[in-house]
Amino acid sequence: MRKVKFIAIKEFYHILRDPKSLVIAIAMPIMMTFLYGYAITLDINNITVAVIDYDKTLESKELVDAVYESTYFSRPDTEPSEHDPEALLRSSQATAILYIRPGFSEALLNNRHFELGMTIDGSDNNLSAAVLNFSKAVLNLYLLDHLPNGIEIPKIEIAVQNLYNPDLTSSHFFVPGLVGIILMMISALLTSITIAREKETGTMEQLLTAPVSTRQILLGKIIPYIMLGLLDGFLVLAVAKILFDIPFVGSQLLLLAFGLIYIAAALALGILISAISKTQQVAMMLALTVTLLPPMMLSGFIFSIKNMPIPLQIFSNIIPAKFFITIIRGITLKGAGVEILAAQGLYLIILMAVLMFIASKKFSTRIA
Amino acid sequence: MSYAVELHKLSRHFGSFKAVDEISLNVSKGEIFGFLGANGAGKTTAIRMLCGLLLPTSGNGKVAGCDIINESEKIKTKIGYMSQKFSLYGELTGLENINFYGTVYGMNKKDIKNRLELLTDKLELDEFLKRQAHSLPIGWRQRLALAVALLHQPKLLFLDEPTGGVDPIFRRKFWSVLYGLAEEGVTIFVTTHYMDEAEYCGRISIMHQGKIIEIGKPFELVEKYKAENLEQMFIDLINCREVNNA
Amino acid sequence: MYQALYGLIKKEFIQVFRDKNMLRLIFLLPIIQLLLFGYVVNFDVKNLDLDVYDFDHSSQSRELIQTTSANNYFKPNDEVIALKNLENNFKNSSSDMAIIIPNDFSEKLMNKDKPTISLITDGSNANSTSIGIGYMLQIMQLYTQNYYNIKPKGEIRFDVLYNPEAESVYFMVPGIVATLLTMITVMLTAMAIVREKEVGTLEQLLVTPIKGWVLLLGKIIPFALLGLLEIIIALTFGVLWFKVPFVGSSVLLFSLSGLYLITPLGIGLFFSNITSTQQQAMFFAWFFSVFAILTSGFFTPITNMPIWMQYITYLNPMRYFMEIVRAIMMKGAGLQDLTFQVVILTIYGISVFGLSALRFSKRIS
Repeated sequence: MRKVKFIAIKEFYHILRDPKSLVIAIAMPIMMTFLYGYAITLDINNITVAVIDYDKTLESKELVDAVYESTYFSRPDTEPSEHDPEALLRSSQATAILYIRPGFSEALLNNRHFELGMTIDGSDNNLSAAVLNFSKAVLNLYLLDHLPNGIEIPKIEIAVQNLYNPDLTSSHFFVPGLVGIILMMISALLTSITIAREKETGTMEQLLTAPVSTRQILLGKIIPYIMLGLLDGFLVLAVAKILFDIPFVGSQLLLLAFGLIYIAAALALGILISAISKTQQVAMMLALTVTLLPPMMLSGFIFSIKNMPIPLQIFSNIIPAKFFITIIRGITLKGAGVEILAAQGLYLIILMAVLMFIASKKFSTRIA
Repeated sequence: MSYAVELHKLSRHFGSFKAVDEISLNVSKGEIFGFLGANGAGKTTAIRMLCGLLLPTSGNGKVAGCDIINESEKIKTKIGYMSQKFSLYGELTGLENINFYGTVYGMNKKDIKNRLELLTDKLELDEFLKRQAHSLPIGWRQRLALAVALLHQPKLLFLDEPTGGVDPIFRRKFWSVLYGLAEEGVTIFVTTHYMDEAEYCGRISIMHQGKIIEIGKPFELVEKYKAENLEQMFIDLINCREVNNA
Repeated sequence: MYQALYGLIKKEFIQVFRDKNMLRLIFLLPIIQLLLFGYVVNFDVKNLDLDVYDFDHSSQSRELIQTTSANNYFKPNDEVIALKNLENNFKNSSSDMAIIIPNDFSEKLMNKDKPTISLITDGSNANSTSIGIGYMLQIMQLYTQNYYNIKPKGEIRFDVLYNPEAESVYFMVPGIVATLLTMITVMLTAMAIVREKEVGTLEQLLVTPIKGWVLLLGKIIPFALLGLLEIIIALTFGVLWFKVPFVGSSVLLFSLSGLYLITPLGIGLFFSNITSTQQQAMFFAWFFSVFAILTSGFFTPITNMPIWMQYITYLNPMRYFMEIVRAIMMKGAGLQDLTFQVVILTIYGISVFGLSALRFSKRIS
């Protein structure tokens, strides 16, 4: 145990002595939270839509106003040209063009059927689907305001109650998940290069000739980074609280426990990477590939897992971030307790144990 | 006659630290000049200035007849350089390293081939040319590095601790090659920690805290300080300085 | 001169291709990215798990429940669940929403007395929840229209250009092209020079009479070529595997990629200049890549971001290139449609690369 402590202290000095690493370990998570938190928003609004009004009546002007009064749509900076309005779509200055055809107001007032035209830039399928839905909604609303006299449609009312996030703020969903993403990146990145660096500079050999077991070296290497990981976790949560006002309903102690397991899993991954890479360059590239994309894509952080093809849904089960993100959302937003998260927690523990086992195996065979 | 290297009050400061402090010296053509000093005395900084890698803070100098401040690129065509760290590409084979540096020095294929044949003979490189450089034993790496430094037939050779970590037999061989070169008229400017090597030099200078504190022929210096040998003289001289400073 | 340049490029390629892991990464990276993004990126909100608490037990309420599965919006759970489980199902994420139909629903409906139903949601996923609420509103509208047999008077005829099938992979592939090109070039260039600095080979190069600009070009051209190779791999794979349409001119795409490349290469060089270890260079490159990706509109449209964030995106050169690749591949845009982006990228390229090149000197500091 004393040897482990000694290696851990040595590693700590190593981190502290290199101010740039320290900046990376501390400033990066904060900047990342900031960037991700503000840049990833799925709330769609202010889609630029150009309206070409051929009718030019009071009613058509009211429709134009209705379009821009909705929070969904905004005016493009450039007005569409008469002969080639679609140029706006090609140059991405507008997402859609709404055509109000001549005779619109006449049809509306005489209760006759009418048709509006809309050309949508469909390249971003998500955006175009939103334009489709929103414009239908805007038209329906407009029609309700312009019902012919004497007609009444009874409506079914929906009483909506949103639990956990009553204002439906999207950052409340993303930002807790960010803890999972950032912890994975920082932990795996830092460990993956420290060991590759020791290999490249030859100090690892020296350590290995000392009378310590590889398991002790491994443990000694991991402990400082677990502490650093916890610090990063706190930083991200603090930024989440201060900037994004994320609620924290559940038990902090429970989150801490799961956080430790998750960090250990991330570190094991980092060590595995460095054990199989010869140079820092390869370790870094590998760490980036393994820890940047899969946790973001396959963890349910942004994209819901149930909409993926079955093979990927199965594959997502080996991503520790998937379970951790469910857990942290459950704890912070919903106040879920250990009885509800037991299954997720168990999965996470198993993944961590398997990763640790493989990492220590590879570490001892490859390095020693 | 003109010198291969002539320095006049050359200095280089890093902030308030004077790495090289007003050194002046002349090295004749065809001379083997030993540039001695303890670790951190400023030898590497001085050599870097001579090779045009670093600008001096003050003073001036000429290397191979060219001004070190304004004509550093011209100097580079005339010198060969071998640094204390193995600085060839480990992933490349010996031959690939030589071909690469040949093109960098603007030599054509035929020139490289002819030159290589000559150097292979002289340095006994043959079987090691096909192996990746990082897999070579250290002594062979140094020979390969010397081959690269000699590729473009430089008139002046800068060697920064070329035999660090090399076994005595290999060092002996290495020096016999250097003697051969000196006989051909190549000036050799070498730093070393090994006092037996220093004795091979025509003249040596001893650097301490950025200054040249002694310069002369090895045996003359031993006599001057009434030391048993060069090593003793070196240790006495440095110790004496340290005491005076304290 | 040209010979030295050729020697440098050849050397760089030997180094890259002799490292098996590096080689694998270079070829697998685009394919992994494409597979991941092609299959995973899907913002569709569909099949929301809906717990149903029907206290009316009428034919009307059953019909309403039936309607909820229209367009695959909801997956109604028709098991009978005790109301006390409602929140537990949210907490362990087995349900997204719960609908409660009161026992007077059918009666009020028949009396034209505005029936009310309750919708309780797991609001934590704000995006899918708000879309789900919208779906529910549409479904109620659909249900009443059917029930009272009313037809809407007006409608919009939609004409969706460029990606009428609404395939997200068609949208992602151009984005991946831009991302790959940026990441590969910035990272490899950032590491390239600093690696030689760290290992010591740079010093040996600097004492040779090689011209500074030749050295720079020799460092840049291999990575530019690798970047373009990545584009070719990504595009070929995208077109063959995902059947992504390529509407515009590939020549234009390649020339503009070449123009764009200058900027990430210049940035990589800059990172190489200001750092002394590969680790630092890699972190700079990594941070830049994350910034560039997040603010390029790759994941989420720029118009969704807060206004001040939208201004920040103008600083990101990849933003313009992203627009270029998407416009050429999906919309068949020509040079005249892209003048703005091209002008900005030219200015960026000249200034970034110029600055880095000026900072590069054959002396060490």
